[in-house]
Amino acid sequence: MARVELNRVRKSFGDVEVIKGIDLDVQHGEFCVFVGPSGCGKSTLLRMISGLEPISGGDIVIGDEVVNRIPAADRGLAMVFQSYALYPHMTVRQNLSFGLENTQTPKAEIRETVDRVARMLQIDMLLDRRPKDLSGGQRQRVAIGRAVVREPRVFLFDEPLSNLDAELRVDMRKEITALHRRLQNTMIYVTHDQVEAMTMADKIAVLRQGELEQFGRPLDLYNRPRNLFVAGFIGSPKMNFLSGRIEDAALRLDSGETLSLPATGFDLSEGRAVTLGVRPNHLDIAEGGPLPLTVSSVEQLGGESYVYGALSDGTDLTLHLSGQVGAEVGETLHIAPRGDEIHLFDSDTGLSLRRD
Amino acid sequence: MLTILNPLMRIVEIPMLALQRLLGINRLAWAFLLPNLVLFGLFAFLPVILNVFYATTGSDNVLLEARPYIGARNFESLTDCGNYLDANTCREDKFWRAVFNTIWFVTLQVGIMVGFALLTAVILNRDIRARGFFRSVFFFPVLLSPVVVALIWKWILQREGVLNAFLDWTGAGGINWLVDAGWAFGWSVFISVWAHMGFYTLILLAGLQAIPRDVYEAAEMDGASAWRTFRRITLPLLSPTMLVVLVLALIKGVQTFDEIYAFTGGGPGTATTFIIQYIYERGFAGAPRLFGLAAAASLLVAGVLVLLTLAQLWANRRNVDG
Repeated sequence: MARVELNRVRKSFGDVEVIKGIDLDVQHGEFCVFVGPSGCGKSTLLRMISGLEPISGGDIVIGDEVVNRIPAADRGLAMVFQSYALYPHMTVRQNLSFGLENTQTPKAEIRETVDRVARMLQIDMLLDRRPKDLSGGQRQRVAIGRAVVREPRVFLFDEPLSNLDAELRVDMRKEITALHRRLQNTMIYVTHDQVEAMTMADKIAVLRQGELEQFGRPLDLYNRPRNLFVAGFIGSPKMNFLSGRIEDAALRLDSGETLSLPATGFDLSEGRAVTLGVRPNHLDIAEGGPLPLTVSSVEQLGGESYVYGALSDGTDLTLHLSGQVGAEVGETLHIAPRGDEIHLFDSDTGLSLRRD
Repeated sequence: MLTILNPLMRIVEIPMLALQRLLGINRLAWAFLLPNLVLFGLFAFLPVILNVFYATTGSDNVLLEARPYIGARNFESLTDCGNYLDANTCREDKFWRAVFNTIWFVTLQVGIMVGFALLTAVILNRDIRARGFFRSVFFFPVLLSPVVVALIWKWILQREGVLNAFLDWTGAGGINWLVDAGWAFGWSVFISVWAHMGFYTLILLAGLQAIPRDVYEAAEMDGASAWRTFRRITLPLLSPTMLVVLVLALIKGVQTFDEIYAFTGGGPGTATTFIIQYIYERGFAGAPRLFGLAAAASLLVAGVLVLLTLAQLWANRRNVDG
């Protein structure tokens, strides 16, 4: 069983603490994605797990073993690097074989394993080429192959798709997901792209400034973000935020309008400053809707439409509607959030006011 | 800026247009290249051609018109040997002594120097304390003029020198370093390595730093030991730089003259006389001045260097493609 457990793991570079005590438990066979804006420490955290970066505090447990002092090579991990990091002077076959040669694996076995993995990743016709003769996508496959060949307990991916073009990225995303289904290994995957995170992960860890903001299933993060940051980070286009205050169990917005709130589910202390979060696809155009929106631009994609505009106090709002809409720029639309699809956050702490 | 430049360009443009009309656009390129070509031709290409003339003519007269054509006779006298492995059986025994000395010297000097330069570069490439300081220290001798190098070491190694003073003080007793042929040769190799290693260390260091860090990290994840990483990752990826270093060191090694000449004068006897010193002495220092013989010897040296360089390039190409 190769689960990965982080207990109050910390990392400092000099006086700067970049990982501030993270607790995390990745179960065996899970596909876990670390996601966050650049500089949030996700790659550093991955490198700490890999052993390439020493940790400043806490414990890293892989399987049942604390690996803090175990060198990278002996942790039973394999890593796919953002730059692929293929050995430029070796053929694809040599690249794939190198790790096994280091463990004194018999030659025939290396050959057999490399052939099998190469067939699986459809790079068997490239085995005699060197990295410089491969396309970006092919290099990516070789880099993944090099990890697969070693039959690691845990796979680590450090933004592996960020150097590929958009179309190839979608293909490779599916392939990595398929690889995970096939191998059933624990995988930890770092990306800054929340779409990658949502589509690939069993569990997502959202990081910000070296702290874990939320850890959970993709849809739990989407449906029940624990704070404003996660709410804004997960989901595309971004969630709309409207600030206001609780008055008589209703929300009085800074723009002046009043919204009724569901009676249960939220902690609605009178007078509390709150931020209402509502996703663009949870806003409807409704006759007599409480929010007057002045339209600033409209994007019609045929099957779906985006409407951008602002409330009377200048707060920007985005609507994502299915089908085609007849809105014009400059027109004022009346819109309403769908009653049960709203989020409320404490404006001071940023934490969700959801009760459960 | 352009408003200032425009009238200036106009002024340049007028003669240029005239010149272009006169020469045609293709020949204009040659007009631009001319200054450089003249300098290169005068001081690099012409001497090589002249060298061929001197090598194939006789007498001690420096004027070409006064030198009779003697064909390959200079080359014949250089290569006239009973047994090529024994300089005493050769007509120009001093040439062959210098050749053997140079072969030994270059083999030892290049081997030791490149080996240590690599070792030093690998160490300096690590995160060691005071890295900048050590990098300067190893490079410092390169800045010294060859004669200064020779004088420093002479001061240390002569009979009444610093080293012997120290050895006397310890009771071990001094050695007459520069009078014993073996020691003189050994110290020649040493000071030559000392004086030039920093330069090659610097080149190798640059080569090491050009190897991407993540390739090393991949090797670390792949479980490669430090030695295996060095042998399978560092060395192959450093091989283009290594080739440059080897070719340069070899050429410079064969050209060794000034610092050893100032250090030992080629002695004791001919123990530290190398090929360039032989050429210098035959051509300019002795009487009669055998320009022809010196020119022939320098052409032979040039030929050998070209062959060695081509061989290394070929070996490297095989290495990279194979």
